[in-house]
Amino acid sequence: MRNQLEKLGIVIEYEFLKHIRRKRLWVILGIALLVELLALILVPTLLTGGYPKSVMIMASILTVGPSLAAIGAVFFAGDAIAGEFESKTGFLLFTNPIKRVVLWTGKYLAGLIAVSLLIIFTYIIIAISLVVIYHEVPVQILGSFGLCLLYAAAVLSLTFLFSAVSKGSMGATVMTLLFIWVISGIVESVLGMTGNPYWFMISAGGDSITLPYGSIADLISGMGLQEGHMGNMMGGFAPLSIAMAVWGMLIYLVGCLMASVWISRRRQLA
Amino acid sequence: MEDTIVIENLSKYYGKFLALDNLSLKVPAKENIGLLGPNGAGKSTTLKILCGLIQPSSGKAYIDGIDVVAQPEKALTRIGAIIETPEFYSYLTPEDTLTYFGKLRGMKGEMLKKRIKEVIELVKLEKWSKVKIEKFSRGMKQRLGLAQSLLHDPAVLILDEPSLGLDPRGVVEFREIIKGVGKEKTLFFASHQLVEVAQICSRVAIINNGQLLAYDSIADLEKKYQTLEQAYLTLTGGSIA
Repeated sequence: MRNQLEKLGIVIEYEFLKHIRRKRLWVILGIALLVELLALILVPTLLTGGYPKSVMIMASILTVGPSLAAIGAVFFAGDAIAGEFESKTGFLLFTNPIKRVVLWTGKYLAGLIAVSLLIIFTYIIIAISLVVIYHEVPVQILGSFGLCLLYAAAVLSLTFLFSAVSKGSMGATVMTLLFIWVISGIVESVLGMTGNPYWFMISAGGDSITLPYGSIADLISGMGLQEGHMGNMMGGFAPLSIAMAVWGMLIYLVGCLMASVWISRRRQLA
Repeated sequence: MEDTIVIENLSKYYGKFLALDNLSLKVPAKENIGLLGPNGAGKSTTLKILCGLIQPSSGKAYIDGIDVVAQPEKALTRIGAIIETPEFYSYLTPEDTLTYFGKLRGMKGEMLKKRIKEVIELVKLEKWSKVKIEKFSRGMKQRLGLAQSLLHDPAVLILDEPSLGLDPRGVVEFREIIKGVGKEKTLFFASHQLVEVAQICSRVAIINNGQLLAYDSIADLEKKYQTLEQAYLTLTGGSIA
């Protein structure tokens, strides 16, 4: 057992090194920061009266950065399994005496550490921005941070599953993004607008990141959009509770990770 | 002499294609055995099963008495391998790579550093040991592949076309290294280069369509067929004349 834990640590160390040395981590960080910056510039420009009066509304708006960082998990994990088969690095890695389950777990944890660091960094930026603008940081930011980490972990698991069943890394990455942004997003909208529960959609997990600051309806009204088209559209949505969103994300996290390990243990490098 | 590698009635299907057909073979300890056969004969499939990369459809394979299917991690502690053209993580240097694989094999500290230095010198990559592998040619990757296979000083070396992609000087140097280390190890070595096999190995197994056609010393095959080349051509589908 100790031996397996040591090997797990070694895999995490070198997989994390991969994330540090490759450009994608820095690109995702750059995009997340750019989005935060745009939000800070555009919100007072587009909303009448400058920044929203409530710090909660502004904190909600700024979660767009960490939400994007969480989606960055897709780019860390897309090639985690498929890449070993596609680029044939597995011919070297798999001839080492290490259990596949240890290997895949190490890769998962390294990806989670990398994406967590991105999320932590974006939340620090949010906290600094709120202090500068409002002279306060709401304690609810911790809840939002926890949900964002859970969302990233669920997205990472889902990407692992696509990586386990895909021939190539690009296919795994594209399929995961399509699933989260297009398929899950559309199904969630349809379910929500027809008054049905939608907590089990992965995209609902992404939506939940702002919930500690208030409901989506609160956010819309706080931005002065309640009378417009957006407000009408969201009117029929059944409210999403944090507890149900957490359950949904936990299901993706555990289910997809276990399925990906099970599938990749059986995958052969022919 | 005790057999280090034992293959018993090994069969492997890829879908409906039968790549290995009840192959049985024993490789005695510290012998250098060449595995010959045309493309698609089943050479790589055999070596991949021994390295735990693929599972056989039926049959058994053992390394030092360890079942490679039931206990792949334990069997792999005995093996150093190069399968196909090795591809490395491009963002790592040879030193990083060897440290990573060495640690996975339980090596650490000064002992690991010393051994990395030795194998890097052996394959003549000293000047490149701190350069990212993304800048490496195929031949350099092949050298690094040999270095990683020797890193933990394994009792068994399994090599699949190890000199593929090397320039003529590299081929000669590679052959000398393998000949040198092969004196103390069990070497199971697949190749299309009959000259190379004749210089390194004492015996050869010739397979085609997943079946063992001959398993004999090179000297005996030459007695029977005049040359190793003639033996290969005759056994795998008639001479080219």
